[in-house]
Amino acid sequence: MNVIWNIASTTVGEAIRRRVLLVILLIGVLLLSIIPALGILSARSETSITIGTMYAVLRGTSALIAIVLTIYMLPNEIERRTIYTILSKPVQRWQFLVGKYLGAVLALLLMITMMTIFMVLLFWVFQHPTAEKMAEIATQPFMYWMEMSLLAAVGMFFSTFIAPLVNFFLTIGMWLVGTVLNPLYDTLSKNGNTQPLMKGIATIVTNILPNFANYDTKNPIINPGQVIVNGALYKWTTVGYTAMYVGILLLLSIVVFDRREV
Amino acid sequence: MAAAIETQKLTKTYRSRNLGKVNVVDELDLVVEEGEIFGFLGPNGAGKTTTIKMLLGIIAPTAGEGYVLGREIGDMDVHRVISYLPERPYYYEYMTGMELLKFYGSLFGIKDTAKFQALLEKVGLAGDASKTISQYSKGMQQRVGLAQSLLNDPKLLFLDEPTAGLDPIAHTEIRDLILQFRDEGRTVFVSSHELSEVERICDRVAIINKGVIEQHGRLDDLLRGGRIEIIADAVSKEFAESFKGEDIIVSHHNDRLILDMPETSDVNAVLDALRGKKANIVSIVPRRRRLEDLFVETVGRADIRGKAKAKAAVTEEAAK
Repeated sequence: MNVIWNIASTTVGEAIRRRVLLVILLIGVLLLSIIPALGILSARSETSITIGTMYAVLRGTSALIAIVLTIYMLPNEIERRTIYTILSKPVQRWQFLVGKYLGAVLALLLMITMMTIFMVLLFWVFQHPTAEKMAEIATQPFMYWMEMSLLAAVGMFFSTFIAPLVNFFLTIGMWLVGTVLNPLYDTLSKNGNTQPLMKGIATIVTNILPNFANYDTKNPIINPGQVIVNGALYKWTTVGYTAMYVGILLLLSIVVFDRREV
Repeated sequence: MAAAIETQKLTKTYRSRNLGKVNVVDELDLVVEEGEIFGFLGPNGAGKTTTIKMLLGIIAPTAGEGYVLGREIGDMDVHRVISYLPERPYYYEYMTGMELLKFYGSLFGIKDTAKFQALLEKVGLAGDASKTISQYSKGMQQRVGLAQSLLNDPKLLFLDEPTAGLDPIAHTEIRDLILQFRDEGRTVFVSSHELSEVERICDRVAIINKGVIEQHGRLDDLLRGGRIEIIADAVSKEFAESFKGEDIIVSHHNDRLILDMPETSDVNAVLDALRGKKANIVSIVPRRRRLEDLFVETVGRADIRGKAKAKAAVTEEAAK
């Protein structure tokens, strides 16, 4: 366990110094900082539009960080030969892989926390919400962190056998399908009038591809009238879904990476 | 003496879209004794790094067997007593020299700061322990690499091109460290292109080309069979001409004779003849073959053999 933790902490150290990630983070923070001004331009409730847009920026920035962070993780280690020095020590390949993944997840936690703190402070400065509302706003990014942990597992799985550029488009594609199209396919798979072929495709997509839409629980925060029935159970179910999916992806990654010639 | 490394028909085959199956390492039989510096030589793409990776258990052989310190390759326990310095290694640049040793030490469960400091002193980096790797020169990075490779007090070190890209001063420093490792009783397996360095430090060498061992043995034995140069003054041109023969090179200028002859020639007879003519013998210098000559000759011969084999295969194919 020590070996995994040491590799993970080194990965965090490296991730928070990677210029490309810092640039993405900076762009995210800059976008967040102009959002309060956008609320005035909208006909909808200023609070709703501000929170909704802030979440969208935070989510998009986090996704980009998660993808860029993980797609280069293994290829960089192989190209720079750092992997050889590490694997020549008493370190198993699976320990290396799990350590790298854990490091990525921790780096994401750090970056999402930073953006969340900035977002909440900004909201407080412009909207003067109650402490209760601020706490409520700060909970959603935890769901996004879980989503990004799953996305990182997808990126890492593909990086065990696919080149970074292809992996970038594949992982981003998986995220877009899982975020935007999954609710649509879900509806199609449950609709009795859907054509059998489309229903088959919809069933496969909703059951096999990760459903990133699960993590977007911002509606009750933006629209106080809406509630998630049994919210605590929903969140725990999502935690379980994430753990199961990440576990499967890591297991597949280990199997593929173990056979890979490095 | 026990074998630190032993391989029997160790083979690594890759599949290539254009070439089909390619044996990058082909039935390699190798024995490296404990406590020696072993030079593993070969041109680019000869299979040196692939062999090292197999011995380290980083990649699995396609066929054959290999043992490192008596254990089968891939055995994780052996990783506690071996170490590896890759060619032109990259280390996490944000770390300081001390942090780097702490990280690699942690992979062995070593947390002894005094040990890290002692290792940095050993490689001459004690004063630069708090500098980041990005501030280190290439030579310093190589030295910190050697320090990390000594963390587990290894019995066997694999050094892949340890002096590649270094300036002459750094060359000498690394060479001295490698010699020090042998004095400490460690076995050192060096893969290198720097033939003059290898000739200076290695006890035995193997020359590999296209995955096949072409030469293997003690350096003294492999370089034996050289030539002897005799220089004598007060020798007439006519007398000098009398030494001319097959494989004997005679130079004569201003009554000075320079004879370049095979080591196997009857040197005493030549000396007696010169003394008989009252010649003044200036020097007798045995000249060993240089490793570079042996390397070029071996690799060149193997290439000619390979081309002939390929040509024969084409001819045979055409005849069918």
